[in-house]
Amino acid sequence: MQPKGGFDPNILAFDTSLPQISAALSSDVIIAEHDEQMARGQAEKLMPVLENLLREAGGDWSNLDLIAVGVGPGNFTGIRISVSAARGLALGLGIPVIGVSMFEALLDWDGPLYQPAEILSIAAPRGQAYVQYFRYGMPQAKPRLIDPCQPPLDLQLPVNMIVRGHCAEQIARPFNARWEEVAPNRVAANIARIAEIRWRDPGYDASARPTPLYIRAPDAAPSRHTVPTLAG
Amino acid sequence: MSKAISPGPDRPLTVLGIESSCDDTAAAIVRDLPGQMPQILSSVVAGQAELHAAFGGVVPEIAARAHAEKLDFAVEQALIDAGCTLSDLDAIAVTAGPGLIGGVLSGVMCAKGLAAATGLPIIGVNHLAGHALTPRLTDGLEFPYLMLLVSGGHCQFLRVEGPLSFRRLGGTIDDAPGEAFDKAARLLGLGQPGGPAIEAEALQGDATRFAFPRPLLDRPGCDLSFSGLKTALMRARDQHVDGGVITSQDRADLAAGFQAAVADVLVEKSRRALAESGEINGFAVAGGVAANALLRSGLEALCQSTGIRFLAPPLALCTDNAAMIAWAGMERFRFGETDDMALSARPRWPLDTSQPAMLGHGKKGAKA
Repeated sequence: MQPKGGFDPNILAFDTSLPQISAALSSDVIIAEHDEQMARGQAEKLMPVLENLLREAGGDWSNLDLIAVGVGPGNFTGIRISVSAARGLALGLGIPVIGVSMFEALLDWDGPLYQPAEILSIAAPRGQAYVQYFRYGMPQAKPRLIDPCQPPLDLQLPVNMIVRGHCAEQIARPFNARWEEVAPNRVAANIARIAEIRWRDPGYDASARPTPLYIRAPDAAPSRHTVPTLAG
Repeated sequence: MSKAISPGPDRPLTVLGIESSCDDTAAAIVRDLPGQMPQILSSVVAGQAELHAAFGGVVPEIAARAHAEKLDFAVEQALIDAGCTLSDLDAIAVTAGPGLIGGVLSGVMCAKGLAAATGLPIIGVNHLAGHALTPRLTDGLEFPYLMLLVSGGHCQFLRVEGPLSFRRLGGTIDDAPGEAFDKAARLLGLGQPGGPAIEAEALQGDATRFAFPRPLLDRPGCDLSFSGLKTALMRARDQHVDGGVITSQDRADLAAGFQAAVADVLVEKSRRALAESGEINGFAVAGGVAANALLRSGLEALCQSTGIRFLAPPLALCTDNAAMIAWAGMERFRFGETDDMALSARPRWPLDTSQPAMLGHGKKGAKA
């Protein structure tokens, strides 16, 4: 592994928002990668996986220029595992950390990367989907939670709309849009690539910290107790 | 858990503590120089009371979200306040349970990130041990001693025999007193947290007007119960609420009566715990409810009459904080124990594993 501070940043990327650990190390190209299905135990296994990845590439923590982390949407607990670890690592190493959404990680890296008008869709609990509208690879609106069987009509995009991701066919059907049903794949590798693009952007703010992208509000109902008020 | 080489009693140590098991995001740095009292170099506590106010209690998912976004800031602030850098530290201690798992997990992962990056050892700390060892941080109390841990989530009597050795003499079989105060405050239309609200309201009230029960005093042993007391308060209140309205005198008398019942039970059970605890060097309280003046004066009087040293750490070290976690981690570290990157966050983690569980008998095991 190159020493830190070279032309190509050494980036460690990871994500646990799906039932897996996805981790990748990049320096211009992906130099090490680890994707492992894991229903539980991500919190215990994440750091050993990252340490192994660095060792495999002949480096260690001190080689890193940048941490990149998946911020979801996805499993709330899984997102927090990675985001908390990433922020702890960044503070400990004194290097920046970039958060990348799962929508961005779903962009098509092997095809025409930036579609003029694209709905990206991620699986959500109870048969729902998280969707976000992108133009040329840039998010254009806030992500939202929808029922893929009854996609809201205001999802309609102006031109050449394509739906990519979870339940793409169902979401595309009412709009007669093109669709591509794909699942997230090599998530961390994609996160590393996106983070590098953002890192090279002249407007990049190195002090920003990633925050989880939940989309769904926390499950909490206000207290139903009626309370007495004071007389007079 | 791995066995590390103990730094021994003579090495100066500086430890970062991280705490996120309920609704306070906390980080602190404690330094221990041989032959001196340990110093708290910094103690940052960022509360979340306003986030939970509308819900009448701590909402786990809301708490977890806040911790994940505040922890590293709290650590940075603790370093700045202490005038330290990460390179001045000898270890990183973190609450690994028991508590709300989302918050505990964020704290543990943040600590793992810091430990991996700096190469420092990571030490998982039981939140209850943090409270239980606080009198050694504040007053250098020698083992063994009796501890009443009384907070929003916990209530137990512990005979503290060593940094990793605790014997539970008794505890609540249902609600914790802090939780009971919160619920009582809600029943009376007072603010949260309930403890201080009830205490302030009780100042105007007559504690003798309502004869609330003193649960479990008729039974031997040191176990306690507070959930029936809450129901008794609700019944008494409903007799004095007319069209959703209560008079200020009724409300104050109800608050005073309720507070007196809680304090009475805790003081009487403390008397029994003292009788059961054998030779001890003192009786200490910790937890947010230890701030209650009526309880404190009752315990003080009890200790005076029995000739036992009474210790109540300053309030900021009674309620949740990270200085106690740094200190408990330091005690474990001196004992020669550290953890590794496989450290788990545990929602349930009884301090005294030698006795049957009091709460949570399900397959997940004892809560505390």
